[in-house]
Amino acid sequence: MNIIGSALEHYYGQEYILRGIDIEIKAGSFTAIIGESGSGKTTLLSILSTLLNPTLGSVTFDGKTIAEVGNIDTFRRHNIGFVFQFHYLISYLTLRENVALAALDETLIDPLMESLGIERLGGRYSDEVSGGERQRAAIARALINRPKIVFADEPTGNLDSKNALGVYELFKRFSDEGTGFVVASHDKKLAEYADTIIEMEDGIVKKIYQR
Amino acid sequence: MITPLKALRKNRFKTALIFMSMSVSISAIFLISAISGGVVSMYSAMLKTDGDIIVTQKGIADTFFSDINRSQMGSIAKMEGVKEVTALIFGAAPVDPLPIVGIYGVSENRFKSYALTQGSSPQMGEVMLGSKIYETLKHPKTILISKKKFVVSGVFKSKIGFEDGGVVMNVEDGGALFHKSASIFLITLSDLGKSDSLIKKINTLLPEGEAKTTDSFIDSYNQFKIIKTSSDVIGAMAFLMGILGIVSMMSMVVNDRKGEFGIMRSIGLSSRTIIFKLLSETLIIAVLAFAVAWGVSQGVLELIEHADKFQGYINGEITFTLLCNVFIVSVTMALLGTLLPAIYAARIDPMSLIQRGGA
Ligand SMILES: Nc1ncnc2c1ncn2[C@@H]1O[C@H](COP(=O)(O)OP(=O)(O)O)[C@@H](O)[C@H]1O
Ligand SMILES: [Mg+2]
Repeated sequence: MNIIGSALEHYYGQEYILRGIDIEIKAGSFTAIIGESGSGKTTLLSILSTLLNPTLGSVTFDGKTIAEVGNIDTFRRHNIGFVFQFHYLISYLTLRENVALAALDETLIDPLMESLGIERLGGRYSDEVSGGERQRAAIARALINRPKIVFADEPTGNLDSKNALGVYELFKRFSDEGTGFVVASHDKKLAEYADTIIEMEDGIVKKIYQR
Repeated sequence: MITPLKALRKNRFKTALIFMSMSVSISAIFLISAISGGVVSMYSAMLKTDGDIIVTQKGIADTFFSDINRSQMGSIAKMEGVKEVTALIFGAAPVDPLPIVGIYGVSENRFKSYALTQGSSPQMGEVMLGSKIYETLKHPKTILISKKKFVVSGVFKSKIGFEDGGVVMNVEDGGALFHKSASIFLITLSDLGKSDSLIKKINTLLPEGEAKTTDSFIDSYNQFKIIKTSSDVIGAMAFLMGILGIVSMMSMVVNDRKGEFGIMRSIGLSSRTIIFKLLSETLIIAVLAFAVAWGVSQGVLELIEHADKFQGYINGEITFTLLCNVFIVSVTMALLGTLLPAIYAARIDPMSLIQRGGA
């Protein structure tokens, strides 16, 4: 899915945060949004991922605006996966049940959990596994419906550097299989895994690198 | 079905609070309806015994105030289609040492409707006692009604609590005690089809009286309306309290579980799915609370029925209809109480999952 953001500007109240951004996320690409804290990464990612409406400008998904994609829940369910800094696994459900909650096709759950290396943890609850394992389960939940694109905001913010690299490697692997990724992080190491790097500074795109 | 149970177990404390608040409300509804229904049905049962038509004084608010003259009973009895006419006096008086007891003066032909367990029907100057009051007074040989002495001729057993806790005497004795001829006539018909024409005839014969079918009398009887209205009002208040309890607890539950509903929205579960999830959780609580409230109410009613203090006057029964109605009320309570918090949950913006500013 091609996502195009045109002339994006965003205000939080009086605060002018995004100051005119034009950007294209190519289908299947692995895009990293990097930059200092407060530079507007999260705001931009939220706008590109349907979570936030920009104050000015527009976003299209394969040429359709958000108003034209139909039911937003259905659109998200079939096309978009989310990974947040916190895992948001439901504590009274096992890891497998958490993934199943999102799944349109339950037969995909076990193979996916296996490829994420958490197949043996399916029956455990989120407070019975490590932080890295929790984030893997959250990633499984984001990937279960084979979304066209996954948005992740600071997905490694709560992880140590070893687990963080593990997450980037996972993203890379699924990206090579065709899933698009847009990942925002102030962690510069992320850049080594992405094919497109958007560097933000003070609400504008400072630079775009392609690999 | 397993998911809502897990959610409830996880949020044990709040689940328990919702459960208790619902149980209390539902029990209150059960008890007030059963007791008021019991009072009404006891009284109607008494009137319906040998009474297809009831005659009272015209325009009175309560049968206690009614006074009609027995002199016309003979003419009514001779009318075509009439099987039998009985006269009743309702009164209440202190029976030493009890401060107030129901006294029933009845014409001789009504004695047969009391099932004697010992002794015989009362002659003049005698009374028969309901088994309940007979026990309460510890098997007396004589009793003092308003300081007047009566010999106990027999004991009867009645399922109608008013009667079982009351004293039955001849209508003449009752008339002397309460200074009236009769409170009401009860008329049984040999031909029910004649009831309309008979009512007309009786109303012409007794200009100061008013004849009605017993059913229509019961429907229009003011005291019943008052009892029913107050029980409906109290029941409605219990219902509202129940709803408010659920609303406030569920709002807290939704607030505790914001992340859960936010993530559901982000993975594309519809608002309806989220609302349904929360509704099914409270529905489970409602069904359990209903069952417990049923049991508790049944127990309380049993206790009340056998409490000497009430002399069987308070006698509630949870009928099948009441059971069904209260079940519907419980479910409605759960649904209404959960709806607003659930809609709020379904509207939680997944944007709230994003850690703002900072990093
Ligand atoms: N909801 C909000 N209300 C007001 N200001 C906000 C809000 N969210 C973010 N900001 C501000 O917008 C700026 C950019 O934030 P953000 O997009 O989160 O940047 P980043 O993810 O790069 O740290 C920051 O100065 C932040 O304080
Ligand atoms: Mg951020």
